[in-house]
Amino acid sequence: MTNLPSNTTEANLVGEEPIVVERSTAPSTTLAPVDWIKQNLFSNVRNSIITLIVGALAAIAIYSGVRWIIGADFEIVRVNLRNFMIGQFPRDELWRPWASGLIIATTLGLVSGALAHNAYDTAQQMGVPAHRDSYPQLVRRFWPLIAVMIFFVSFARTVLPYIGLASVFVVVLLFREIGWRLPASFRSRVVYVGAILAVLSMLVIAGTSNLGGLAMGIIAAVWMASEVGRMTPLPGMAGTLRTFGLSALAFVIAYFVVALIPFDGFGWEDWGGIHISLFTMVIGITLGMPFGILLAIGRRSNLPVIKTASTIFIEFVRGVPLISLLLFSNLMLRNFFPLSFEIPADLTMAIIVITGFSAAYIAEIVRGGLQAVPKGQTEAAQASGMSPGKVQRLIVLPQALRAVIPAMVGQFISLFKDTSLLSIIGITEFLRVTDVANAQPAFSGKQLAPVTYLFVAIGYWAFAYTMSRESRRLETKLGIGVR
Amino acid sequence: MSEPAVVVNSDATEAGGTGKVMIEVAGMDKFFGDFQALHNINMKVGEREVVVVIGPSGSGKSTLIRTINRLERHDRGSIIVDGVELTDDIRNIQEIRRETGMVFQSFNLFPHLSVIDNITLAPRNVRNIPKAEAEATAMELLERVKIPDQARKFPGQMSGGQQQRVAIARTLAMKPKVILFDEPTSALDPEMIKEVLDTMKDLALEGMTMIVVTHEMGFAREVADRVVFMADGEIVEVGEPEHFFTNPQEERTKLFLSQIL
Repeated sequence: MTNLPSNTTEANLVGEEPIVVERSTAPSTTLAPVDWIKQNLFSNVRNSIITLIVGALAAIAIYSGVRWIIGADFEIVRVNLRNFMIGQFPRDELWRPWASGLIIATTLGLVSGALAHNAYDTAQQMGVPAHRDSYPQLVRRFWPLIAVMIFFVSFARTVLPYIGLASVFVVVLLFREIGWRLPASFRSRVVYVGAILAVLSMLVIAGTSNLGGLAMGIIAAVWMASEVGRMTPLPGMAGTLRTFGLSALAFVIAYFVVALIPFDGFGWEDWGGIHISLFTMVIGITLGMPFGILLAIGRRSNLPVIKTASTIFIEFVRGVPLISLLLFSNLMLRNFFPLSFEIPADLTMAIIVITGFSAAYIAEIVRGGLQAVPKGQTEAAQASGMSPGKVQRLIVLPQALRAVIPAMVGQFISLFKDTSLLSIIGITEFLRVTDVANAQPAFSGKQLAPVTYLFVAIGYWAFAYTMSRESRRLETKLGIGVR
Repeated sequence: MSEPAVVVNSDATEAGGTGKVMIEVAGMDKFFGDFQALHNINMKVGEREVVVVIGPSGSGKSTLIRTINRLERHDRGSIIVDGVELTDDIRNIQEIRRETGMVFQSFNLFPHLSVIDNITLAPRNVRNIPKAEAEATAMELLERVKIPDQARKFPGQMSGGQQQRVAIARTLAMKPKVILFDEPTSALDPEMIKEVLDTMKDLALEGMTMIVVTHEMGFAREVADRVVFMADGEIVEVGEPEHFFTNPQEERTKLFLSQIL
């Protein structure tokens, strides 16, 4: 048994779950439409009354909605489409957002293809029925997202956005195919490649900064550490030192390579639109998750200092509205920096606050998950001689995180919607663009706010609904709630 | 009864097996709050010896073996496993846990890992054994517990008996010097008890040092070198199985055996 695919454990730790539990739904007997209506909508007097009342209300809502939409003038959206998407980004540098978007499409395709194949392999080894999503199934799975992108682009006045969107779709599918066909040893490393590509996509827009170098360095160090771990480990201090040394080296090299690229890019002050909303959400999640997990573990710690500090942080942040924290970041946080220190951009400080905010909520969610892991799991791991850190990392946390996926995604969704609060510290995020557009001379005083709000609402809904659907899919896959 | 009267033997400090003492418990007390769970336990277990601990529920049997690998902290007295005394020092605790396997009543397999990952996790992470070698050993162990075809399954897909055999394989993968069994068959359906007991018998025949807390009197009778009867947190009577089951001396032992047999 030496030729076992090397990806199973890694795939588990990364989080793409191999268990594919195909829940057989009860066979739905097909009825003729008339019979179906009789059985389900008018089965008795009470049911009939409810059907009629709800039906009437729905009819009124649809009628007035449709009438309003037919009469509405969407010119304001057409004129401001670019503002809604990327805000005031310099017009002659538009290739940057497009290039960044295509890199992200590449990343999504590559990583999702590779992880899907890993999950498929694992399911097959277990003898669980598994299948690869066909293209129609992918479309059905992501229809809200696909629909809203087409909806956005349909307001474009030039042909370029159509070409751009089409190439995004093509790139995603192409790289999903490539990711699927990668050899198994490559597939288990594709997450690191994906992370590097994601940072790269940021660098294309924002240019090289110390932050970019830092991010690249961290990814390189983690990658190096996992590569050393994959090789025959040297027991004891020598192994630890080698892992640490190589990781530090990888970090330094990556940092300086990025820092040496002579390009300053466009700072965050140029950003805006849905781009900044999505960006803030992704950063809030990726930084808030590890921080939140540490806080959750800290709150259960035996060391009073760590326990108290974690508890105070969590309870303070959870007890305060996000708006007040954002205002605090804008008006007060700058006083905490030394005088010689360059005060960071508003968005930088807002991101710090949002990261801390989501970390506090994630910590409480994770704490619930940690408590749900049976004591016997810890005991079995301890009894085999594992160190307390490994017991947490390999046994308790994976199970705890798995159990709280639905709650976690719920938190992500509300974080996404909370990014609309960035407007109060003067950042032109997605929702704020409606005010900007309605203040333009061509549209001011024309009562067009409902049109723009409808447009924005559809945008928020599509992303939030997709997250919610994916969460439910994952839930089914993991068999949460069907123990 | 023409046999000579046998003196009641409650002294568990004569190690059997090869004579080399593997586990030595001396003057050990354990409290849960105000409740004293174990009273002055003195016991030695020899290398290659199989000691079966029986007694009514609440008598402290499980607590006794859980103190040996520090899942419970003992409050007084000393515990020495293969020459290492159990102290509050985490390194001592880890060293003893590495050499002491434990099989639980509720299996406690890791549900998020496949069978083979369950077995290789500790060897790879505690003993730093390379993955390929750990997996080869794991496959051998699965052969030994007679379920090599289940390597890629997850614990949730297996029967209780299979899970407990995986748990035994997981323990063996660390090549322990002693294995503690905490009521390994109590959570199993009757038809699965035999397959687990057979696995344990094989282990005993191969010379593994074992302490087994169980209600399976047939197993005790057939496999045990010594039977220890506990009640109310004390060791009441100790003896070879034959003597123990045919000619118990203490009233509490007689009462217990009459209830259970």
